[in-house]
Amino acid sequence: MAEFKKITLELDHKFSPKESRHFINGTQSVFHCHHYTALYTQLAMDAGETKLLQASAEESFYNLLVSYYNNKCIEHIEDKISIACQYYSAMGLGLIDVKYLGDNSGKVISTNSHLEEGWIKKWGKFDKPVNFIGRGYVAAMFAAILKLPTGTFFVDENKSIVTGDNETVFRIFKK
Amino acid sequence: MAIDRRKVIEDMSKIEVLGGNNGLIEAFGVYVNQLPTSFWNSFADKLTRKVDPELYESTEYLLVNCGAECGYHTGYGIINCEEWNAIVKPMVESTEDVLHGAFAVFTAWGWANIEITELVPGEKMVVRAYDYYEADIVKYGATEMMSAYMIRGVSAAFMALAYAGKYDASGDKFNTFKCNQIKGIECGDAYGEFIVTKA
Repeated sequence: MAEFKKITLELDHKFSPKESRHFINGTQSVFHCHHYTALYTQLAMDAGETKLLQASAEESFYNLLVSYYNNKCIEHIEDKISIACQYYSAMGLGLIDVKYLGDNSGKVISTNSHLEEGWIKKWGKFDKPVNFIGRGYVAAMFAAILKLPTGTFFVDENKSIVTGDNETVFRIFKK
Repeated sequence: MAIDRRKVIEDMSKIEVLGGNNGLIEAFGVYVNQLPTSFWNSFADKLTRKVDPELYESTEYLLVNCGAECGYHTGYGIINCEEWNAIVKPMVESTEDVLHGAFAVFTAWGWANIEITELVPGEKMVVRAYDYYEADIVKYGATEMMSAYMIRGVSAAFMALAYAGKYDASGDKFNTFKCNQIKGIECGDAYGEFIVTKA
């Protein structure tokens, strides 16, 4: 019987002293904290631009994932999912687990969340879901895995750590 | 100045942070993330371009505030962390050295290649950024809109950490100083320049 070996995310971190910029797998990246992510999210909510925040996240994460899949010649869906989940954690965004992924729908669960646990640490619990950055990541992940363009999937949260649930549930629907 | 900026940048830029088993990076008293710069730039750029002109000033203020709160809390974590104590603290002889060291760390972490060019303790600071990711919103030509919101916020916050008294976790002090951007690479200047004064 063949043994299943989980693929491991490789992180190639480089610092360019001339520009003072950091790159992870060729993508320029930067440290920020939960205050920054929480305040960006609050700003998007105040401005009525949560879709813009989610779309900005989706576009950025899509490019990162597609680039990784292409550079590492990753084709199998299980491998793509595993890499996407590991990438989420490597960036410090928390834990995600794909319950199912289909052509038209899906379900992803997060048991730890940078944005939501950071939000609670900063302001306490909130009465509605706030993880628009996570939604963008999940939409990007589904599109990248299925080789579809960004904007293909709608994502919402029907359970949320920030509202007091013990996990966040992302629901994915094809638009 | 006692700070060996080159050494601080060289040593501090090597620090790598990795998520724990829970996928969270807990360091410097905060949850840290390492996201693509394109994400931060994309949202800030699109939001400021599309917002009603009457609301631009408020939007700008809130974007700068994101940097200020981040800079105040994370900055405090940085100047009290193990790496700071090992690398920078031995060089520190004064409050001004702490500020110079903090901007060297600012550079090492990829926020901007930035340094203090003028400092009047407790009153005024001028910082110059020779490269910064917030300028990447322009690939050709120049925009009239200065867009280094994060640098403005963090610079003001660092000044507050240095001169606004003991760290206040409630965050009441991070707006003790304000920062204006007077030059920007995104606007066609050779570097970005920022002036921090009392609010």
